[in-house]
Amino acid sequence: MSMDFDLNADQAALESGIRSLTERYRGLPTPHEAGHFLSGEAIARELREAGYYDVARQEGMGPLESVLLVEAVAALPYAVEAAGSVLIAPLVSRDALPGPVAVCSDAGAAIRFLAEGGTLLVDAGHEVRIVDLAGVVPEPVDTPFAYPYARLPAAKHKGELFDLDPRKLRQYWQLGLAAEITGAMQAALDLTLEYVKQRKQFGRAIGSFQAVQHRLAESAMQVHSARMLTRAAAMSGSPLDCAMAASYAQEASMQVVYNTHQFHGAMGLTLEYPLHYWTQRLRALQGEAGGASAIAQGAAGLL
Amino acid sequence: MNFDWTSEHDAFRERVRDFLAAELPPDWEHESRLDNSSRYVYEFARTFCPRLAAAGLMVPHWPTAVGGGGLDAYHHWILNEEMWAAGEPRAYQYMNVNWIGPTILQYGTPGQIERHVGRIARGEAFWCQGFSEPNAGSDLAALRTRAVPSGNGWRINGSKIWTSGASFADTCFLLARTGDGKREITAFLLPMNTPGVEVRVVPGIMGQRSFHEVFLTDVDVDEGTVLGGVGQGWKVVGTVLHFERVGAPRYALSQRALMRAMEILRERGRFDDPVVRARAVRCRAAGEAARYNSLSVIDQRAKGRPPSAVTNLVRYSQVIGDRLVSEFLGEFLGDVLVANDEPLIAAAYKRTASSGIAGGSAEILLNAVTRDYLNLPRE
Repeated sequence: MSMDFDLNADQAALESGIRSLTERYRGLPTPHEAGHFLSGEAIARELREAGYYDVARQEGMGPLESVLLVEAVAALPYAVEAAGSVLIAPLVSRDALPGPVAVCSDAGAAIRFLAEGGTLLVDAGHEVRIVDLAGVVPEPVDTPFAYPYARLPAAKHKGELFDLDPRKLRQYWQLGLAAEITGAMQAALDLTLEYVKQRKQFGRAIGSFQAVQHRLAESAMQVHSARMLTRAAAMSGSPLDCAMAASYAQEASMQVVYNTHQFHGAMGLTLEYPLHYWTQRLRALQGEAGGASAIAQGAAGLL
Repeated sequence: MNFDWTSEHDAFRERVRDFLAAELPPDWEHESRLDNSSRYVYEFARTFCPRLAAAGLMVPHWPTAVGGGGLDAYHHWILNEEMWAAGEPRAYQYMNVNWIGPTILQYGTPGQIERHVGRIARGEAFWCQGFSEPNAGSDLAALRTRAVPSGNGWRINGSKIWTSGASFADTCFLLARTGDGKREITAFLLPMNTPGVEVRVVPGIMGQRSFHEVFLTDVDVDEGTVLGGVGQGWKVVGTVLHFERVGAPRYALSQRALMRAMEILRERGRFDDPVVRARAVRCRAAGEAARYNSLSVIDQRAKGRPPSAVTNLVRYSQVIGDRLVSEFLGEFLGDVLVANDEPLIAAAYKRTASSGIAGGSAEILLNAVTRDYLNLPRE
């Protein structure tokens, strides 16, 4: 097969399927109750029921298709658990794992998407542990970040040993992060591009000022690059590529968060306006799995 | 979607590498200093390029009807990656392959194609690009070199600056004003031995003959030197810039230098430093982003699609990839750079100094991204 940067017919169909299923979730719910995050549970359920979360298990599909799904879902204002279920669960089981599927390196920390009835995978350094959350009620954490976070009851911290190379778990965690960050960055950037065309100061659209334009162009390059690296990593399956994609995306997200907020002014700091749904997620993901520097440093031996 | 090379592409890369291994002298790196603007590399290219052509590696991606091998655009890119990483032993003949030949093929008359394209395909032509002027750099359309009708042709007066490789060029791809409107510009294919053309070297930090001034005093040329029609120069420039901006795979040299830098740092025990390790991966990631981004443009070319707005964004990613490597070298191998005894590292460091300037400054690229890719309102 020749090098090809276009999606193939199946991938294009997957994207348009996700697009039409999530169409009504692109905007904010009405009425929109201002809060730190919008629960994506209903969307996850719909995607799961429609078979999208099994994409990696389908003939001829794999991590690339999973990454397309994670990226598309991350562009919604809702916090939808996808990376764990779509990219990581297939490492653990041939069948779907009870979702949401959360991943962490410290079972005692506040954990993203930790929920009753779901699954937790713990990167415990030299081993992987798994926690079945059936009948377990995690304690929700009140946080300004735009994801649901919760803590695991202490009795459950240990979980069970699972026969999986922790490096493999880390690799797919990184890949999922890269895809999720790319989707959220694109959405924050798109919202900002629309805003700077509308918002007028000094009698003109603020998007016509070169000081604003160049920074948005730089951000566009970074989002484009993060997407390329993520897709390349999904296709190669190389641990180095996954680490580079995650590290690059995490670093780029800092600039994208800063720029998109700067150009929204105080408007972006309100809970009524949707920018924070993406940027507060990006802020949460910035340090996950160790953060850009630790991930990069950890992968240097693979260069 | 697939980012893997085919076995045919891999075999082609091996062919290029084998050719380089056989043709480059053992002391190539020290003699050439990987400076494609030097007299040494120019003299080398005079025999190297015809041999490259004889081996079917000068224009492998051009149609067979014009002396090419009929291969896809990826072959061109593989060739460019290998040549650039080796310090560009084609000297400035890479420009012929990247944009001068294709632009003449697109806009040239049968006579111009006959005169120039065959020589390029045979590896015999040395060109320079007469675009920039003292008062027309980023604002290229402000150029003042003027051509006025004279006899059966044109009389050209003015001057060009920063012209790479002009010392050795036999022909100049020249832009001159043929009207008072800002974009009333015409492209000329000017023989450098025409009376009235004078060349002066401008010493620079990058390479021996990277920069020149070219003075044009009452230079008379015939009608057959006009490319693409009188007043059509700005349209011609659009084609040129698309091919030029995603033309030289700059990351190929800087990433090779990064790998060499890591070798040295490992030998010194410095690669245990977590800061060095993290920064090295960061450089690599930016280089890989530039590489994939560039390949996505090549994919468009391979599919025969028209140039798109993404070209400038892709070029900007090359600029940033080079900048990170340059900063890495400066911080962690400053002593090697000062000692100037590692040609690969020294050359990559020098080259990266121009990545954000050559072919249009990075800020001009960002303007173009803003306008054509993000569709923001004009200033």
